[in-house]
Amino acid sequence: MLGLIGAGATVGLAGCTGGDPSDDGGDDGGDDDGGFGDSDGGVDHDAEELPEVGGRFTNMHHATFTTLNPLYNTEAGAGSAIGYALDQGYTFDADQELFPLLYDLWTEDGGNVWVFEIRDGLEFSDPYGQVDAESFVYQIEELHQSDWANTASSSDWAGINVEQTGDLEFQAELEDAELLWPETYTPLEYPIPKDLVEPYVDEEDDDGLRQNEELIELQFTGNLGPYVLEEWERGAGTRYVRNDDYYLQEADGVPHLFSNAPYFEELRVDIVEEEATRVGALEAGEADTADIPPDRFAEFQENPDVDTYTIPQPYNNILSVNMRDNGWNAGPGNLFQIKEFRQALACAINKEEFIAGVYRGNAEPHFTWQPQFSNFYPGEDDIPMFGVGDLYGSEVARDLAQDAFDQSEYDYHFDGDDMVTPDGDQVVLDILYFPGSATGQLRAEYTAQELGDNLGIEVEPEAIGGDRFNNEYWTADPEGGEDPDAGLTWDEPSPWNPGPRSVTSNESWDMSVVFGLNTYPRNPQANDVFFDGATTMYNPVGYYPEFDAEGLFADARSAESQEEIQAIFEELFVNLAEEQPYIMLAFPDDLVGYTAGLRGPIENFSNGWDFPTWHY
Amino acid sequence: MGLARYIALRVAWAVVVSFIIVTLTFVLLAAAPNPSVQEAATQAALQGGDPQEAAERERELRGLNEPIHVRYVDYVVSVYTLDWGWSEHRSQPVTDALWQGLYYTAQYSIPWTILTLLLGPLVGLYSAANMYSWKDHAATGFAFFGYAIPNFFFAIVLLLIFGVWINWVPTYYQTDAPVFSLDNAIQLALPVFVLVTGSIGAIMRVSRNESAEFMNADFMKTAKAKGVSTFRAYAYHVLRPTMVPLSTTVVGQLLAIFWGSSLLVEVVFGIPGLGRVTYDALIAQDTNLVLGATLFFTFIAVVGNLIEDLVFTIMDPRISYDDR
Repeated sequence: MLGLIGAGATVGLAGCTGGDPSDDGGDDGGDDDGGFGDSDGGVDHDAEELPEVGGRFTNMHHATFTTLNPLYNTEAGAGSAIGYALDQGYTFDADQELFPLLYDLWTEDGGNVWVFEIRDGLEFSDPYGQVDAESFVYQIEELHQSDWANTASSSDWAGINVEQTGDLEFQAELEDAELLWPETYTPLEYPIPKDLVEPYVDEEDDDGLRQNEELIELQFTGNLGPYVLEEWERGAGTRYVRNDDYYLQEADGVPHLFSNAPYFEELRVDIVEEEATRVGALEAGEADTADIPPDRFAEFQENPDVDTYTIPQPYNNILSVNMRDNGWNAGPGNLFQIKEFRQALACAINKEEFIAGVYRGNAEPHFTWQPQFSNFYPGEDDIPMFGVGDLYGSEVARDLAQDAFDQSEYDYHFDGDDMVTPDGDQVVLDILYFPGSATGQLRAEYTAQELGDNLGIEVEPEAIGGDRFNNEYWTADPEGGEDPDAGLTWDEPSPWNPGPRSVTSNESWDMSVVFGLNTYPRNPQANDVFFDGATTMYNPVGYYPEFDAEGLFADARSAESQEEIQAIFEELFVNLAEEQPYIMLAFPDDLVGYTAGLRGPIENFSNGWDFPTWHY
Repeated sequence: MGLARYIALRVAWAVVVSFIIVTLTFVLLAAAPNPSVQEAATQAALQGGDPQEAAERERELRGLNEPIHVRYVDYVVSVYTLDWGWSEHRSQPVTDALWQGLYYTAQYSIPWTILTLLLGPLVGLYSAANMYSWKDHAATGFAFFGYAIPNFFFAIVLLLIFGVWINWVPTYYQTDAPVFSLDNAIQLALPVFVLVTGSIGAIMRVSRNESAEFMNADFMKTAKAKGVSTFRAYAYHVLRPTMVPLSTTVVGQLLAIFWGSSLLVEVVFGIPGLGRVTYDALIAQDTNLVLGATLFFTFIAVVGNLIEDLVFTIMDPRISYDDR
């Protein structure tokens, strides 16, 4: 589930958010930097003269880490904290090319068998010796693929056949070929010493593995990360010192700037929950980087002591509409289930004003399930641009709503400016928002106002806690079952798609802006979790695609070339733009401030990929 | 009944109270669904396994399939041997988590408590001695200001002024500053100031009103007639009887603010203290840690009440133990 919920989300499943220096970001397939942001600036990787080593870099984070055990971490923030001391297999550079760290991987048969080649000279701390293929294969087979360990990667490796083919080489054979497999991050592994985990494997002791101090305190990392973790003070943050033996200093095929990296003597991640304090620390020069809230971004742009960056990211702002039987509590029937009604909602909300008002202009409009910087974003001529230009306004929204009324078996209609129920009462709907996020209330209130002005719906914003929303509204007990009208059967229900529309969460709700979701611009195949038919794993809103989404995902899985994949996904995203399974609103940028003079950050989705080379 | 017997009985009662609370927490815990079982079932579903089977296996692993009386005995033994389990949210033993939180909370709450106990009654006494004068109004105004302004807001404003603009103090707490060092004193100045101003208001008002009762009491007139100095008269003849009813208020109040107020101040100043430990555990549904914190605060409350009763009897010799 890592990375599914993102922008606007309030509970802890968020994935990478480009603003954090060590977050891996990136996408595949990019052939230039036009899509994924600006790759200019940053450091000069081939500079002859290397920077001096010294000083301290202080990063601010808003929440405590649950664990730094690499096998069990599912949090982006803790992932960054681990990443300072322990590299993963690879990353993506500013040109969105795969950049091998611990290992390179490739396929020669169209994505069915992937070969992993591990760098020589990777060493764990004593007494664990060299990182080799055996340790990776053991980790995958005995931990991820076991039925007792429940590691964070366990669902990724199901059904994949792994085999050691040399001291420093192993291969993974997939059930179905996948050309974009690296972009799914499934093959992205931390190195873990076999001797360290073996006793737990023998005992099938998941608690012991989870609580092992060497894993939690990252005491085995040898030369495998740019820094060495000195201390994890729960609630306060992590402290690191430079790793003088960092393996990339001697590695082949990496830019010259890595040859003496990293360039800070010390590094720390400080946990401060209060946003005003974090921003204050950046302003006072006590922190080297912090996220900046939209309403203060302009102020920092004028501050000579801080460099500001707007970094594109893939998490969206959406208006989720509940198509299940406990949605649409205004009257009989559920108009959200009718495509034209969802289009009407999309036409009633002005995306440009939404972005200007809520994000002070620091966001991009959202038309289909990809950000515009994605290489899989269809041409704008091919998709309806709901919410801008001719497709915004009362008239077009009401026309589409009227189409929906005509398809409904109930007599919804307009009475003057108001949309009314068959009983003649104005349609009243609620919209849930999380008040703890800086923009949550604004998003809800603006949406309510637009739906009132343009569709005559009375919308009542209601604040709700993130965990309560997740437990009582967004998820439900998996029941499964059938929907005979749609000819669908739920064989593998999940809390996020518990069954047909008749299976509902504990609490009824109409609309929500609490959660945003990932759009996976590097590998759109990952969006099958949301849209692979009505029975897919993640479908809290009860969306039934009216096009053959499952067929398109199946085609993409068996595609043999990048061009073929491109065409399939473009068709998918044209259809999703048309159907608006979630009413798509915006992609807010990450707004990040760095102390002036820091060399390294770029306004690119891959920002931070080369963090060890950053310097003043 | 002698003092020793009284104390022994009170301590025994405290043990009984804690036992009742431990039992109640067990009942609540046994009735609530176990998150690790749900998690295992979800994980199995995601991997295409059998959620029911995974849930059963997890129950077995966690000993949840044992008879309830066996689980109860295990639980009680664990509680009283300080084996409070593992905090999933912080990846450390619960006792370590609470100890670390207490370590940081104590650094500001001890000076806060001492200053509150010193300044509250003194300002109240000062007000009573100058009742209805401008000095009384000024002291009352100061106390009410601190009481009325929300700690959270006041802390942010002070941080902005002294941390960001004037740069006299760091903007957030640094755990690597030695406890007894100037750096630590400087970084704790604002949290302590905010907390003291927030908590002396009520104490000051109570002590002002109580003191006023004794200002014109017969024994004060006698003392003055005997030529006792003003300082001695106030300290011995007014402040001491004032503290008797106040001690009840003070202990109860300080216990309440010890957790509640400290959370907000810890959040603003980034102090990893007990308030944040407990609050984060609640939000993250970290059952073991929530339970540990509950037991800890139960212990504090029980001991606090005990101390309160003992202080009560020592401060006022007229109170006997006979009816207790």
